[in-house]
Order: sequence, then C-alpha cells, then structure tokens
Amino acid sequence: MRMFSVSHKTALVVDHCPYMAESSRQLIECDMLTKSRSQGVIPLAPVSKSLWTCAIECSMEYCRIVYDVYPTNKLVKLNEWFLMTALAAVGPPNPRQDPECCSVLHGLVAAVESLCKSTEYQHESRTTLMDTAERVANRGRIICLTNAKSDTHVRMLEDCVLETIQEQNKRAAGSDRLMPIQQCELVLVHIYPQGEETLVSDRQKKELSSVLSSEVHSVRAGRYLACKLNVLVQPHFDLASTTITNIPMKEEQHANTSANYDVELLHHRDAHMEFIKSGDLHMAGSTSRDSGLKETVTLKWCTPRTNSVELHYCTGAYRISPVDVNSRPSSCLTNFLLNGRSVLLEQPRKSGSKVISHMLSSHGGEIFLHVLNSTRSTLEDPPSISEGCGGRVTDYRITDFGEFMRENRLTPFPESMVDAACRTPVERAKSQLERHTRYWPMIISQTTIFNMQAVVPLANLIVKDTLTDEDVLTCQKTVYNLVDMERKSDPLPISTVGSRGKGPKRDEQYRIMWNELETLVKAHVGTSERHQRVLDCISTCRSKPPEEEERKKRGRKREDKEDKTEKNGKDREEKGWTADSERLKGVMEREKDEQSECEIIKDSPDSPEPLNKKPRLATEEQQPPEKSKGPVSLLTLWTNRITQANSRKHQEFAGRLSSVNNKAELYQHLKEENGMDVHENGKATR
Amino acid sequence: MPTVVLMDSSLSMTRPVSVEGSEEIQRKNLAVHGLTMLFEHMATNYRLEFTSLVTFSSLWELMVPFTRDYNTLQEALNNLEDYDKTCLEAALQGVSNIVQQEWGTSCPCQVVLVTDGALGIGRGSLRHSLQTVKQRVEDKKFPLPFPFPSKLYVMCIANAEELQATDSMDNCVGSKLIDQAYSPFHAVMRCGNLTSDVQVFPRPEPVTIDEEVDPMPRTVQTDLEIVGFIEIGDISSPPVLSRHLVLPIAVNKEGDEIGTGATDDTEEETPTNQMAGKSPNFCVLLHGSLKVEGMVALVQLGPDWFGMLYSQADSKKKSNLMMSLFEPGSEPLPWLGRISQLGPASDAAENPYGEDDSKSPFPIQPKNKRSYAQNVTVWIKASGLQTDVQKILRNARKLPEKTQTFYKELNRLRKAALAFGFWELLKSVAELLERECTLLPDSAHPDAAFQLSHAAQQLKLASSGDSKYAAYEHNITPMLTDFSGGGGADRI
Repeated sequence: MRMFSVSHKTALVVDHCPYMAESSRQLIECDMLTKSRSQGVIPLAPVSKSLWTCAIECSMEYCRIVYDVYPTNKLVKLNEWFLMTALAAVGPPNPRQDPECCSVLHGLVAAVESLCKSTEYQHESRTTLMDTAERVANRGRIICLTNAKSDTHVRMLEDCVLETIQEQNKRAAGSDRLMPIQQCELVLVHIYPQGEETLVSDRQKKELSSVLSSEVHSVRAGRYLACKLNVLVQPHFDLASTTITNIPMKEEQHANTSANYDVELLHHRDAHMEFIKSGDLHMAGSTSRDSGLKETVTLKWCTPRTNSVELHYCTGAYRISPVDVNSRPSSCLTNFLLNGRSVLLEQPRKSGSKVISHMLSSHGGEIFLHVLNSTRSTLEDPPSISEGCGGRVTDYRITDFGEFMRENRLTPFPESMVDAACRTPVERAKSQLERHTRYWPMIISQTTIFNMQAVVPLANLIVKDTLTDEDVLTCQKTVYNLVDMERKSDPLPISTVGSRGKGPKRDEQYRIMWNELETLVKAHVGTSERHQRVLDCISTCRSKPPEEEERKKRGRKREDKEDKTEKNGKDREEKGWTADSERLKGVMEREKDEQSECEIIKDSPDSPEPLNKKPRLATEEQQPPEKSKGPVSLLTLWTNRITQANSRKHQEFAGRLSSVNNKAELYQHLKEENGMDVHENGKATR
Repeated sequence: MPTVVLMDSSLSMTRPVSVEGSEEIQRKNLAVHGLTMLFEHMATNYRLEFTSLVTFSSLWELMVPFTRDYNTLQEALNNLEDYDKTCLEAALQGVSNIVQQEWGTSCPCQVVLVTDGALGIGRGSLRHSLQTVKQRVEDKKFPLPFPFPSKLYVMCIANAEELQATDSMDNCVGSKLIDQAYSPFHAVMRCGNLTSDVQVFPRPEPVTIDEEVDPMPRTVQTDLEIVGFIEIGDISSPPVLSRHLVLPIAVNKEGDEIGTGATDDTEEETPTNQMAGKSPNFCVLLHGSLKVEGMVALVQLGPDWFGMLYSQADSKKKSNLMMSLFEPGSEPLPWLGRISQLGPASDAAENPYGEDDSKSPFPIQPKNKRSYAQNVTVWIKASGLQTDVQKILRNARKLPEKTQTFYKELNRLRKAALAFGFWELLKSVAELLERECTLLPDSAHPDAAFQLSHAAQQLKLASSGDSKYAAYEHNITPMLTDFSGGGGADRI
C-alpha cells in the first residue's frame, strides 16, 4: 500500500450525545442456566447494550483488526482517546444531559484538527527530504458513528467538516507542525435501535469538494453495525477475507471425536493477487456469508503439515487478524500457529487437482499468511551444481565451511550498539568475514594445518580482531606443541592426492606445515601488536642455525636433508664442523651417520631388553629420533624404513632373531652335542 | 523469464523489401532471419530460457509450446505458412492465455512481437481495437496490459517512412533486443576474500518500490557480497520478489567467459570445461555447506537491498545454488528486524545461539502482542459475552479454591464493561452472583458466601458510575475474612 494514502490516518468519532444512551434493543441472555440447577430458579432478564456501547465495541474491533494487520504506519485515533482507560473515564452518555453541549460537532472538529497534525512518520519523511518536503502528502479519513436526526442533519455535519478543513488548512499553511489536508474521506455511520425505522438514507461516496468526499451508511445497532464496520474496514485498509475450512478440531464434549471447523481471517488483499488477476476469485470457492455483504476466499486446511526447516518458495507474507478472535475455532487455530507450527492451505479447484497456494505460519508471535508459488517454475530442471565449474572436485572442506558459517551466524543488535569505529553491526559482520577468510583453502588437499587438531586453538584465535595476552599465550602453546610434535616426528595429515608414492617425507611435511602456518598468521599480522607476537613466536621456534639459512639460499634441492640434519645440528656445531662444499659435507655426514650407527650398535647389549618379545630389528631399536645422538643421513633413514617395512612382510629368520650384533652363530647344536657350553649368544641362554 | 515469440504470419508479411539488388526478399524472410539470430544467441548464452512460438493472422496458433529445445523452435520457424490479415488483439489475448496457463500471473514474461507494422483492417484490426477500448465490458477488455508482469518488445520489419505513416510502436532491432533482454547477467559473489564469478539466471530485473516519495528503480549490483549466515528455520520461508540460479563460471585471464560448463552442452566436454570442473570453486563449497548445515547466506544486492543464497534441491538428485531477492528496504522481514542491525553472533556478550545450539535470537518479538496472542475481550457476538459470564460463575461455584481466578475473570469483565459503557451488564452480573450466594449448598465453605456478596456489591458500586468505584484501573480484591486468612491463600 502506498504510504501517506487516506488510510495513513483515521479518526474515529463516536457521538457521545444523550441519545446514544438509548438501548440498542438487541437482547443478550447472560443467565445461561445449566440443566441441573434450573429447577425453581427464575432466570434473570436479558441485558441489552446501549447504542454507545455498540458503537464503542465496534470501533474497538475496527482498531483491533487494523492494529493486527498494520502494526506501524497506520494510525487510528478514536475521538482523541484511544485507550480503554480513557474510554472508561468518559463512561456512557448521560440521557438527561443537555444535547447541545456534547454535540458530535465538537468531535468532528477535533478529528479534523488531529488529521492536520503531522505524524511522526510524515515528519521524519519531511525532514529527510527537505527540499521536496511538499511531496509528503497529508490525507486522512474520518469515521463518524452517530445518531443523526435526518438527512438534513447529515448535510449539516458534512458542511461542518468541510468548513473546519478549510479553516484548518489556512492555519496549517503557516505552521511547521501542522500540514494542510489534501484529501479527506468522511464516513458517516448512522446508528439506530433495532425495530425502528431509519430516518437517514444510505448514500454512496460523493465528492463534496476537491478535498472532501463523504458517504453515509445507515445501520441498525448490534451485530448489524459490527458487520458493517467489518465490511468497511476491508476497502479502507485494502483487506480481503480468507476462510480456512476443514480445520480438524477435537470436540469439547467428546475428546476422541473431531469435527471440522471454519475460521475467517482478514489480511492484505495482495494475498489473493493470483486469484484476482487470473479471474479465479469466484471459482476459488469465494462465497458470500453473513447477510451477503462479505466476500471471502475459501482455502482448505491441508495435511500433512510442513516443517520449519523447509524453505518454501513464497511470494508474499501478510499479517492476519481473525474476524471472530475469541471463538473457539479461531483461538484453536491461532494457538496452534503461535506454538510454532505451520499449516499449508489448499486451493479448491474445480478440476479436483490439489494445489497448495498458501501457508499460515507465525513469526515472533505474529501470524502471517504466506503466498506460495503454485505455478510451474521457470527454473525447473536446472543443471546440477556438480556439472558446473568446480563440480568435479570432491574434497571440498564442506564440514569446515559449515563450522565457519556457524561462527559467522548473524544476530540482531539493539539500535544503540555501535562499536568504536561507528560501524553498524552488518558492517562488522562483513569485516569479520573478511578477517576469517584471509587464508582459507577450499579443499582438503590444499591444506595441512586445517586438518590438524593441534592447530585449532591458534587458527580460531588468530582471526579475531583483538587478542588478549591469554590468547597470545594459547597461540604460543599451540606452536610449542607443534614443535614437540616435530621433535617426536609425529605423522602429519598431509594429503597424498596428486603426488606419486607416499608423498613428501616427514621433515618436508613439517616444512610445508610451518610455511602454511606462517602464511595464516602473516595474513593477520597487521591487525595488532599481539598478532605480531604470535608470528614472532613461530619464526623463533622454527628458526634454523645461520649457516643452515645460508645453505638454504644456495640450493632448495638439498633442503630435505638439511632439515633433517638441522634437528641434530647442535651436535655438529659443537664439533666446529664446517663444510667447504656441499659434496664434502654430504660425504662427511654419511660418515658421521655410519659412525653414530656403530656407536649405537655398540651400546645395544647394554640397553634394556625390549618389553615385548615380538621380533624386532636391531636397527629399529637404535633409531628412535629422541635417542639418536648424532645426525642420521637420509639414506640411513630410508634404508631403515624400507627394511622395517619389508620385515613385516615375512617371518623373521630364526638366525637373525637370535643374533647378537647381527651375527648369529651357526651350527649351535653341534656345540651342544659336543658338550660345549660356551655361548656367545646371550639370548639363547636366557 | 519465459519468452513468447509472437510472429505475424499475415499475407502482408510476404511483401518484398525494397533493396537494390536482384533477388527478392520478403519481409517474412527478414523476420525469420532475425529470429534465427535470436534463437542461436539464446541457445548458446541463455539456454535455460523457456521460449514458445505463436503465429497469428486473423486467428492465432501455438506452434511450439514453452521449451528449451531451440532446434524445435528453429524448425517451426522454417516451416511457417502464410495466412490472411493481421488481427493483433486476438493474438495478444492468446498470448495472455498461454502464459497464464503455463506460468500463472506472477511470473514475469517477455513477449517479442514480430510484425510488419501493418495494423490490419476492419474488425479485429488494432485501430478498431483502440477505438472501442473504452466501451468494453469487464470480461472483454483489451488484453494489454497483461495480468502478469511483462515486457513487450516489438520487432517491426518496416522502413522508416512506413513507420511514420502508420505511427506505429517501437522499432527494435534484433541485436539490440539480444543485448537488452538476453545477455547473461554476470556478477562476482564474495564472502570476505573468497570469491567466485557467477552468472545469475534469469537476469534480475530492476525493481521499483511503490513508495510515494521518489520511486527509483533499483538494480542488482554485480558485486554480490555475503554478509553472514542464518539458519533456515530462522529465516523461515520469507517472501521473495524473484528466484535466480547462481551458476559459477570460469573466466580466463583476458576476462572472456569460457563457459559456465553447466549451461553449455554437457555431453561434449571441451578441455576448458573439464579444467573448469576440476579447479575448486567457492560456489560449490558454499552450496555444499549450506545444504549440509541447513542454512542460508544473507547477501547484499545493493544499498539497503538484500537477498539470500541457499541450496535448492530438484525432485531428483540434482541440487543447485539459488538466490532469492527480498523486497528492497532496510527491513524486508519483520522477524529479522533491520538488516543493518544484524551483526556477528560472536560480538554478543553471550552466545545468542546457546552453547549447544539450542537457542536462537530469531524471530524478533514485536513490541506489542497482536489481539489473538493476548486475552482480549470482544462481546460483539452474544456468545463472547456469555462465555465470559459463565467463566465467572464456574469459578464462583468452586470458591474458595478458585478465589484468584474468580477475581481475575471478574475484573476482566468489569474493565471491559466500564470501557464499553456497559453498566447494565455489571448490575446483571451482580444479581447473578447474589443468586449464586442463595443457592450455595449447606456443605459450602463459609468463605464462598462472603466472597460472592462482596463481589456483587463491588460490581453494583461500579455500575453506578461513581468515579470512586468505577475507576478503570481499580481492581476488586478478594475480601479478607476469618476463614480465608489473607485472601484465599489457604487453598485446600
């Protein structure tokens, strides 16, 4: 609906003249005796509402519907007092009062004056637009519920409104807070008691001047008036009616049976747009109810129900207001919806095919009628995402990105909350996304660190805008932990996809890991001084001796070896070992390896016996990296590894099992037979 | 956005085009040539578009129903026959019916009218139609404007002089039409530093908001920036203006499009397509995670304009990344509040989703409850009033156990009666309570009688309108008796 239309402001004027105290003569039996207690009791006389009560009740109902459907920007003013409190203070009209002093004319003048006052929304629009402020329109509607004496009386009321508007517009021209009325609709509702003849004739809308149009309705009090206002509110606020039929409801008396009920709802008429345009309005079960004045579209309650995690293609959602808010079927339906469940609604079609066209669902205590797309989709049979770009890649970090999305979920912040840089929450959200994605490999085989549980604390912290000292400490601990892992030569989850064989060697793996970690932290190093400290920590922990660095520059090819030697580098440094050329160094290293190997082997007999008696290679025992005191050559490592692997594939030779220093004595039985008891092989004797 | 090609097959289309040269070319040939160009373009660049072919003369005929098979369209185009006179109104009516039958009234459509600019003669001619347009009855209106959102392009096969003579509608050259309506919409989707080049299909149309002050058409910018993520349950089937497929595309270094891989024929895989399929793409990652997590990504389409990205599964095993556009504005969904006020959940003092994901900050609760969510009093129908009176009586019979509820209901009725100026009701209910008092059985608790007569007396005082007793804010409180020991606190 266009803003600042006539419906932006509505003033309801209820006549408070003595005549309104007259009874509506619609009797209500409020003494409903239950059968068991009815004997010997005379029921009380029924009560009847006054014209005033009827008018107030219906005005309240009019407001209720408008507030339900338009919580904002539709202002209804009831006689200047729109609260029940104030209404109670006014009380019913006094029949003995002088009719002149409380004429409805005062109310109408007050209504016009209130229409002249600019609303908050109008004021806001006017101030934001400044030079085009005159484009903010001021239109309104006055609904006057009164008891007129005659058609002449009606004309008198109309003239009064017209005159007041002209006067007020003059005043408004010279005021900042007032706005001249450009268009006003006057709706006069003449109320008369039941069983009487009306003295006022109905009249269609008529232009009284360029500013004012007027219409007259003559209605009997009671439910006719209620019905009339219900009919009036629809065109006034662009509403339409939908009746939900076939609502299964448990019977109050017999809880195990259920009957079907209907509930009528009002909502913006755009919810029926599809019917209106296609001319299906009448076909779609539109029926006239209650005195033939109302039109409603019938939609059928549909089972099975839908669940909240389903995303429907919805083209509109409109707030509803039940026509009969307190009736049992209405409150059953609204409570059902307010409890968080949704109902699909089916459009009855003459062809008998089932078309689901609407859905009722509540959001935060407000019920909405959702319009679902029920026609063929132009996007049917689209190519699958797996057929497009990147569709053949199979190792996306789907779970990790899911985690990323959870971390970047949005939440509403109060208007007042602005951060130091005056950024709105949504800008903060964007900048958080930017920080979190500075280094974010999309596939598993592109990353090592994100596949390692050990890196998680650091990876989670480093993306933060600010780090505490404690955070820095956690990051440092993570780094130390990695250093420890490297010292223990723990395996890394390096992807072998795309590389032949078993992938890079352990030390190469750690190099890749450290590099990646550095890339991640470097991306955030500018954020704060504490981020820098994390990077410093990494650089320090993975630092190499100066000559290592030198050599690294000379040839990357040798890096593997160097990294390995680097770990045991201290040993070498002590010896003041310098190398003239790469080759020489290589040779020496190998010699040294052999040397150290020999040493270890010599140590072997003294070392404690392995706990399990499983066949083990001597070399294996010698090789745990923690134990190795001297550098180990790549070749040795490799050979060991291969032998180790091979050894698992065959049963160990009996001789080698019982060997000492890889030497097994042959023909032992001969010695035994000869009675010699000399055993070189310690194991054999034990 | 489906397309209807409305081809004039009247006899006048066979008129020759005056070109210097030997061979005679008919207008029809030119039209067919133009459409061939259009179909070829669509087959390569706009393959997902549904197109149908309708021919018209004094009658109209649906030659090819909506299809993506451009060969069929081309074939039909090559086998056109010639008929009698031009009768535009009936043809437009036909188009209107065809579109509504297939797509309903909310789906925007493009209609390409190919004609020679001849208006027709006699009944059914455009001139006749326009002359009588004001005197139509409700169900025989001129078919324009169509009941569905539409764009009507007129490809007029005529020379400039003829156009002036007939004062016809727009003249639109084929290639211009292709640029305007059928060029693919390319954009960059980004989530922080992760980006992907995408094609958005169908082209997002500019949107004009129906505001009185300064209505300006808004266009979707080519930079689609993700601002954050929300659970599907929280966004909860929001109303959208339109839906679009988001197809990742490969862009080579020169900036030329290699192909979407998807829109191109998948059967004949070119090496480039294979390459594109194997290099990781952010769209695919995003789609996969959105699908697994059941979430949507909130995406900014322009200033104060947002949409959402989500995984949409076809009935089969196929699924796709889709984008829906919300109504432009700062608060498109009441249950999300202002989008600019949505920030990262990690900034909140307490995790709004709870440590175990059991909570949600959505939906936002409106300031005021709606009438159906609170206990309003409506007595328009007699039954409403009767129910309220019965409630009081039911509780009255269970005094003193129900003292609290009794007075709660009593005060609700009292307040409403005062507001409605319905003093007569207060008197009547007072009498009812007095009678209840006389009907109390001997076994009744003595407190019951005291409370009933106390309540009746208070109602009577209120019905006098005396400001001392009839104040709206005043509440009738339970009488303090020796038996109640402080207002019904001793419930048995």
